[in-house]
Amino acid sequence: MTVLGYLANGLVFSSIIVLGSIGLSLVYSIADFANFAHGDTMTIGAYSALVTFGAVGGLGGAVLGLPYGFFLALVVGIAVAAVVAVGTEKLIYEPLDIDSIGLLITSIGIAFIYRAVIQIRFGADFTRFDVEPLRPIEWLVPYGIRVTLHDVAIVASAAVLVIGLHVLLQYTDLGRKMRAMADNPDLARVSGIRTKRIKLWTWVIGAGLAGAGGVFLGLFNQLSPRMGFNLLLVIFAAVILGGIGSVYGAMAGGFLIGMINQLTPLLSRLGEVLPLVPDGFGIPIGIEYANAIAFVIMVAVLLVRPNGIAGEAAT
Amino acid sequence: MSALGDPRGALADLTRPEAWVLGVSVAFLLLLFVALLSGALGATYFLFLVGLAGMYALLSFGLNSQWGFTGLINFSVAAFFGVGAYGAALMTADSSPIAGGFNPIVGLIVGLSVAFVLAVLIGIPTLRLRADYLAIASLGLAEVVRLVVLNERWLTNGSAGLRGIPSFFAGWPVLSTFPQTMPGLRLEVIPGSPVFLEEPFWRASLNVLLVLAFAGATYLTLRRAHRSPWGRVLRTIRSDEDLARALGKNTYSFKMQSFVLGSLIMALAGVFYTHLNLYVGPGDLDPITTFYVWVAVILGGSGSNRGALFGGIVIVTIREGTRFLNDFAVPIDPAPLRLLLIGVLIVVVMRYRPQGILPPQRELIWPSAVDDSGTPDRPTSGVREQKHSDDRDGNGPNGGDDDE
Repeated sequence: MTVLGYLANGLVFSSIIVLGSIGLSLVYSIADFANFAHGDTMTIGAYSALVTFGAVGGLGGAVLGLPYGFFLALVVGIAVAAVVAVGTEKLIYEPLDIDSIGLLITSIGIAFIYRAVIQIRFGADFTRFDVEPLRPIEWLVPYGIRVTLHDVAIVASAAVLVIGLHVLLQYTDLGRKMRAMADNPDLARVSGIRTKRIKLWTWVIGAGLAGAGGVFLGLFNQLSPRMGFNLLLVIFAAVILGGIGSVYGAMAGGFLIGMINQLTPLLSRLGEVLPLVPDGFGIPIGIEYANAIAFVIMVAVLLVRPNGIAGEAAT
Repeated sequence: MSALGDPRGALADLTRPEAWVLGVSVAFLLLLFVALLSGALGATYFLFLVGLAGMYALLSFGLNSQWGFTGLINFSVAAFFGVGAYGAALMTADSSPIAGGFNPIVGLIVGLSVAFVLAVLIGIPTLRLRADYLAIASLGLAEVVRLVVLNERWLTNGSAGLRGIPSFFAGWPVLSTFPQTMPGLRLEVIPGSPVFLEEPFWRASLNVLLVLAFAGATYLTLRRAHRSPWGRVLRTIRSDEDLARALGKNTYSFKMQSFVLGSLIMALAGVFYTHLNLYVGPGDLDPITTFYVWVAVILGGSGSNRGALFGGIVIVTIREGTRFLNDFAVPIDPAPLRLLLIGVLIVVVMRYRPQGILPPQRELIWPSAVDDSGTPDRPTSGVREQKHSDDRDGNGPNGGDDDE
């Protein structure tokens, strides 16, 4: 594959990571803990969509190689993920009287419960959406880009969701309140913002985006009960790289981490790709270490610039 | 000690949760005993479970000395466990791609040394981080270790794992042939269902002996260490790191010492696991191992080594009990059921008893520093130093000299 091909793959994977990392970052800043159940929220979205799609079928026409029914399933996946997250917040997190570390540990328990329920219902095996696999888009193949219409659909849907979130955060009342609360919860509260309600909305948005990310991840790869948990650390890497609490940082971090993840194969062929570097040169790291690279970047960012690329100067 | 000299007094001294745990444990032991005698539970398998429980207890001791005493959120338990296990296995196993065939003692030393190096390497970047960052970073680095073990086939045999591991006592004078020389016994308690005690049984009992030695030595060392001035500094760091720093302690160095100590204990558990299971694979480094140990520690009570022991036993009961359930009662795949139980356990403990079932009470202070008025019914902080700040030894965590 050519560099362009890897970049295209990176863009698709980035879209998924961005959807996951925005939600994680929102919850991290507003609910104030590292939510280890976020990855499994993605899994919930994916499996809800799988069930819905299986039930409603194609519903006639298709856009971008995906039947209408799939988009309905996507909406259901988003909704179920949001409902489950709000329910968990109401039932579990809200009554807890512990610090953010206690919440972090609790969220691991929640993650296990989500995954176990899915695994009991669907088994541990890989499954796929019942969508016909597509061939790569013809006129892009000569450039070495092998993306399908499905990949285009993933990127486009992610872009729509991200732009929607941007509009929500910048131009609506709810968005302003959320930003105020992320900035300083106490100040937000004394200025009359109902912080509890804003927190619930944060869960709805964060988990909804995660659900969408899960559906797309299922479309991009496959579905398995572990899919979300396996991606969780990569998403954490993206959030930390972007700066915890910054939604736009999370987008940038997600984009970078997704790209790096898919560009890993190029590392061993650096010489062919880059100018000014001798041809035989390369860093001998295989694709099996793609995630490891993300984790190492994460630790490095934590050390050098703990507030990430979009965060304020280190305090 | 005192419990032997004055059993009735010791019983009366127990707090309610202690009495509960004692009661449930005794009932559970009786149940196991009956199952053993009737042949429903194989004696060899039972000893294997005891070994496994001892291993989890060791892992919990290790995590306890990091999280319970110093407040370090270490999510890389599985990495240290795996490194210890692989270090021992690579040195001793027949199928080892690099060395193999060495005496298990060499394996023990290599496993611990590799864990030491890894602990320092992971500790240098992560121990300066805020608590929740440390959690994420250590989980990430543990995954890096797992990926290396899984993919570097020339070093670790990859996903095939390592087989042909000798027992820990291979090459020892008497103990290496002990299982063969012991006579096979045949016990018939209930007529018609005899219990056989043969070579595998004796081999398993050697393993139990080994883990008892490991866990006992660790327990005593930790108890001594945590009552020392060094241990008091660690507890100060846990409750208020800035205070410890203001008192002139180099908290980074203390945290590193605690991290390395805990990691070595986890690696020791790994070494034992190698010789218990006689097979090591990359699956043993799965993050779930880390969270099993976390459940054991928070369930037992963070900072309490008795609690860690109790938690370890509960974990083995869940691990093996789900398998049993699957065979006899509920036809649910044991893997997700186990996951569900662990998850529910975490949530329930954090919801209703975040300090754990057996929070540390008396074990952190020298017995001579406590007055004789017995244990309070509901300790608020678990440690009763504030009340006795004018006593000889109980002058708070910041008291006494230390080794800096």
